[in-house]
Amino acid sequence: MPLVSLQNVHKIYRIADQEIRALDGVSFELEAGEFAAITGPSGSGKSTLMHLLGCLDTPTTGRIVLDGIDVSQADSDRLSHIRNRKIGFVFQSFNLLPRLNVLQNVELPMIYSGVSARERHQRAAEAVELVGLSDRVQNRPLQLSGGQCQRVAIARALVNHPPILLADEPTGNLDSKTGADILALFHDLNRQGRTIILVTHDAQIAAHARFQIEIHDGRAATRRTPHPVS
Amino acid sequence: MNLLVGLLIGLKEIRAHKFRSFLTMLGVILGVASLLSMFGLTAGMTKGMRDTLKSVGGVEQVRVVQKEVSQDLLPLRDVSPGRTLVDAMAIKKGSVLISHVSPEVNLGGATVSRGAHTARIPVVGATEDFLTVNIHEVAAGRFLSALDGERAQRVAVIGREVVRELWPEDPESNPLGQTVLINGRPFTVVGIFNFYEREADRRRREIARSEGRTPSKSTRDGWGMYRRKNQTVAIPLRTLFVEFKSGVLGPQNEDQGPDHRLTDLVLKVGDTDRFEEALSQVANILNFTHRGIDDFGFDTREDWFDRIESSARAARISGGLIASISLLVGGIGITNIMLASISERVREIGVRRAVGARQRDIFAQILVESTVIGFIGGLLGLAFSVVLLRLLVMISPAENAPFVEPGAVLISFGFAVVVGVVSGIYPAWRASTLDPIQALRYE
Repeated sequence: MPLVSLQNVHKIYRIADQEIRALDGVSFELEAGEFAAITGPSGSGKSTLMHLLGCLDTPTTGRIVLDGIDVSQADSDRLSHIRNRKIGFVFQSFNLLPRLNVLQNVELPMIYSGVSARERHQRAAEAVELVGLSDRVQNRPLQLSGGQCQRVAIARALVNHPPILLADEPTGNLDSKTGADILALFHDLNRQGRTIILVTHDAQIAAHARFQIEIHDGRAATRRTPHPVS
Repeated sequence: MNLLVGLLIGLKEIRAHKFRSFLTMLGVILGVASLLSMFGLTAGMTKGMRDTLKSVGGVEQVRVVQKEVSQDLLPLRDVSPGRTLVDAMAIKKGSVLISHVSPEVNLGGATVSRGAHTARIPVVGATEDFLTVNIHEVAAGRFLSALDGERAQRVAVIGREVVRELWPEDPESNPLGQTVLINGRPFTVVGIFNFYEREADRRRREIARSEGRTPSKSTRDGWGMYRRKNQTVAIPLRTLFVEFKSGVLGPQNEDQGPDHRLTDLVLKVGDTDRFEEALSQVANILNFTHRGIDDFGFDTREDWFDRIESSARAARISGGLIASISLLVGGIGITNIMLASISERVREIGVRRAVGARQRDIFAQILVESTVIGFIGGLLGLAFSVVLLRLLVMISPAENAPFVEPGAVLISFGFAVVVGVVSGIYPAWRASTLDPIQALRYE
């Protein structure tokens, strides 16, 4: 059974009298352990697809199944729960909470899954170690570089052991050297068996993925890259 | 997310913005302090009034008063002799539940003089029970006796204030055996009443004396009810009737014969547990002596206490309302700041939602924050009210000194917490209904 499965997914926005078909019948499947990239120009429906995959929104019609759970018609609480357990978000602008230190930022998802304080500390420390920032646990995000911030964000995304890591332009705010480091980290994580979905408009970055999902005018075309950059 | 985590987040948020949080709390602090001070003030006032009342006659005192007769009995009104000595005797004989009966006649605006010193002081005709019923004590000499009454002796027992006015050269002496003129007739002073004053005044006076100062005038005079009590001049009731009421002139200077009416008929109930029973017993007797005309009523201390209570309640409610408004304003302040802090934290809320916070988690987080503000504000308000009450104690008269009842503390503090909760509801709702996608995009 595929980890992610979309069947004829439509997302239609209504603004005034206008109907905007952001996604117009998207179907694809993604196996566990895949490294996928969602590409497309802005306005193509790329962000909408990411929001649906990230369970921040539900499709107008069609079916989305994540890790065996049909999320197509889930309510707000159910979506929150799925985001908490199944999805790890990595954002372009890191989205760390400025008043919390590194460890506390990484602990955040576990606060909402009822993990005890002791276990939170332990797992957060492990995740921080995994991204190589064990010496900065007490620092605030503002005391870190962009690359370090993104590593913290990745640690946060990993800490609840979600099956899917969803990264939205993760290198967009980084210089090319740091960006490459972050991509290398994603490759490492993928080699350890984690499923990664990169959302990007940058073809060079998309070239790192084995599985390409190109969105154009709300429709998806999938393609395998035989020899991805790594 | 459990409550403890929410509490920690709320506390962290407040700590991160200490000054802003303090300003937000200020409304609550002042509200709680004013609410509690107001409660303290009214409680102090009520207590002061109660204490004063107690010292001029306890709850067992009942006054038989005159009452307008009802419309249908109006033509028969003159059938009743009104309150007379006959009533007093009948009650004394007929009612076992009444321990003391004090029939009194006030000679209003009488002139009491000694040599060149004259005072216009009400003179009261009294019997032996006067002492007990009105809680008087004799400091020197003796009180009026039954024999004084029988023989219509011209003797008087006078209060300290009277001594001070008639013997200004030696105000603290006991001029026993000396003569004063009451409306021109000589009376021998046989006794001096105690000096009555408020507990606080007594203490202040003693302190002044121990420090070798002359007490201030206001301290010596006492006040209100005490002053009136210190001005008492009591003569035997029968003497008063014989000397001053034996031939009363009417409006056209016609002789109306002797005037038997009492101006006061004060009773003391022996057993307060059987108060109502005693009153109905007295009512039955008076119905007989007043020939069935219902022209009397009872004025009990209970009524006085009720009156004090109801005026205190009115003061509490109006004061409480004003103080509550300041607390409400404090609550609006909290709402305002919470809304501002939410729009600062839209992105944070988006992030929390993205990593799995449910709407109710966000709602709880904001609500906990405003509740904590109300809670801490309430505590600080209580602390501040201690200072405020100290200040009020200093400026208010001693027996009215505000004091704080535990209930008032609970109400004020509870109100602050409620204000904190209520003022957080709308911001919490706003925050929890933010669309996570929009919130994450928010700059």
